[in-house]
Amino acid sequence: MQWCVHIAGPQDLDGDATVARFTSLEGSARLESAVRLAAGQIVERFGQVRFTRCAFGNEFCEHLLPAPSALAAAVEAARARDLAFTLVTPYVSNEGIRKLAELLPLLPEGTEVVFNDWGVLNLMLRKFAQLRPVQGRLLNKSLRDPRVMGIYGEAPAADGAAAATLAALQRSNLDNESSTALLSRFGVAAVEMDNLPQGMDLSFAARLPVAVYLPFGFISTSRVCMAAGLHYHKADKFQPGAPCRHECQTHLVEYTYTNSPFTNRDQKFYLKGNTYFYTHSEPMLRSLLDHAASGRVARLIFQPRLPMTASVNGVS
Amino acid sequence: MKILAPIRAHDELEMLAASGAEELYCGIVPREWSERYTGAAWLNRRAAKGGSLETWPEMKRLVDAAHAARLPVFITLNAPYYTAEQAPLVLDLARRLSGDVGVDALIVTDLNLLARLSEENLAAALHVSSVAATLNSEAIRFLLNFGPSRVILPRSLTIPEIETIAADVGRDVEIEVFMLNDGCAFEEGFCATTHHHSVGAFCTSLSEMQADFEWYGPLFTARRQRWLRANLADYREWVFYLNGNGCSSTPKGLPYGPCGLCAIPDFLRLGIASLKIVGREASPFKKLASVRMVREVLDRARAGVPKLHVIERAISLREAPAHCASGYMCYYKVDSKT
Repeated sequence: MQWCVHIAGPQDLDGDATVARFTSLEGSARLESAVRLAAGQIVERFGQVRFTRCAFGNEFCEHLLPAPSALAAAVEAARARDLAFTLVTPYVSNEGIRKLAELLPLLPEGTEVVFNDWGVLNLMLRKFAQLRPVQGRLLNKSLRDPRVMGIYGEAPAADGAAAATLAALQRSNLDNESSTALLSRFGVAAVEMDNLPQGMDLSFAARLPVAVYLPFGFISTSRVCMAAGLHYHKADKFQPGAPCRHECQTHLVEYTYTNSPFTNRDQKFYLKGNTYFYTHSEPMLRSLLDHAASGRVARLIFQPRLPMTASVNGVS
Repeated sequence: MKILAPIRAHDELEMLAASGAEELYCGIVPREWSERYTGAAWLNRRAAKGGSLETWPEMKRLVDAAHAARLPVFITLNAPYYTAEQAPLVLDLARRLSGDVGVDALIVTDLNLLARLSEENLAAALHVSSVAATLNSEAIRFLLNFGPSRVILPRSLTIPEIETIAADVGRDVEIEVFMLNDGCAFEEGFCATTHHHSVGAFCTSLSEMQADFEWYGPLFTARRQRWLRANLADYREWVFYLNGNGCSSTPKGLPYGPCGLCAIPDFLRLGIASLKIVGREASPFKKLASVRMVREVLDRARAGVPKLHVIERAISLREAPAHCASGYMCYYKVDSKT
């Protein structure tokens, strides 16, 4: 199994490539415990793992696409440290497609590009066949609503319908052989996933390699960004795709599920920019690492920060 | 440009047709699905009860009557995904809907299902659901590999973005856009939450949660805290509008909800094929009032009434100028001067 670290820029690779140092990159007091919990579990289970790949970019906002110089610097930093490189790309408008058409030529032949938009895959197929497409976690449609899915996962399957429903929730269309064959036909080399609160059935992984992120999962994302509204007059706020000043870089919102109808009223969700995230609980981490130890996961991607960081070397 | 209305029962057909609906869509959740899965696994993004038809005779009666009234009927098979256990059931459903019932199109999200259906050579056409999140022309070009006749654009696209997409692919595929009634704070195709009744929608649920800010800078001053809090309050107000103004109604009883009426002249100019009214599960009154509103505005636009006058009429029809003026009830920001 391969270990990958998600970086915000080349500076993240300055120093030891260890879980402990990468863990220290997280500067948020509210997120630190989730990152440390995951790091502790990784070391406890696998010892001092060796990272052989880094991922750069984000899945959620085209306003955070890196500037060409930032991408080139990240590629060079990975090359200098003998790390394989993955560019992660978001869902995009036509304008985002135009920006990506300027970024993708900067990547060496054979570089992995994670697509979260069928348009990005089509762009790669039409113009950048030398790159290696990987389906991103946004195109894995399994529900992962942390308010309730964990409860489904914990509940005993009392009858046939409940068991069938839980089985369906732990899977996705990747469950179909026709689905993985279709992706392979388009040259898709692997798929990325979130660690699902209700548990994951990865039986499809024998047909297509799977990579899983930890310790954050995405809940929902939007072209309407609350943070971007900060600098607009009220009537002009919350327009899809509206230009921003990267206000998302200034703060994090932590929600507490105080209105839960269940007992999880202390559960936390995090909003950074246009996207909501959950953190992995200890049982979720154990379950994921069990999958990894059994060979069903081809790659684990350690994200020491929420993947919404603008590159210090600039954005497109 | 047609008006696409939701329908849930044969009883609603006559009034929708008489009011100006030109296309219909609905869902069916057969007993095999309801018996196999609990309410947490939806076949078509709506609960089985209240949002869909449940029997084949009902469906056949509805489609035959709609065809007699010269209205095509489209069926939602638009769950984000179907597993290997579910896919044969859904494929069989599609075959029966196309062959035995004679529906005109199937609305599909799941790429695997779209690909499988494209190999079936069904009489029914294929429409790509907005849940497929076709936010750019390249995405539509990719999905054209599977032969859809129509793509439903996500409601988060702006009019200039729709214009570019229509110019790029409008000759190859019909384009449908959202017109009335249902908002979504998130990108519908990239929202991994459930609307199950036990927890409700995540976006509206967030508005009632405790929210705390963490500032990534040296000074989190009281002024900055107020600034963030005020923006959060504005955002929650926007979500209130998306949610049908807190599920409220006009004094005449017409439910509020997100609206694209003012954009109709633009959509007519762009060659959009269809205007979608959302709400399979809505009351017959809401469906009726929605179709009438869209029809009245569309008729004016078709007759060449100046855009500004069409917009004025659209605002008067909503009977809530203050809500319209907020800008938060609009699907699309319209430039009334162009």
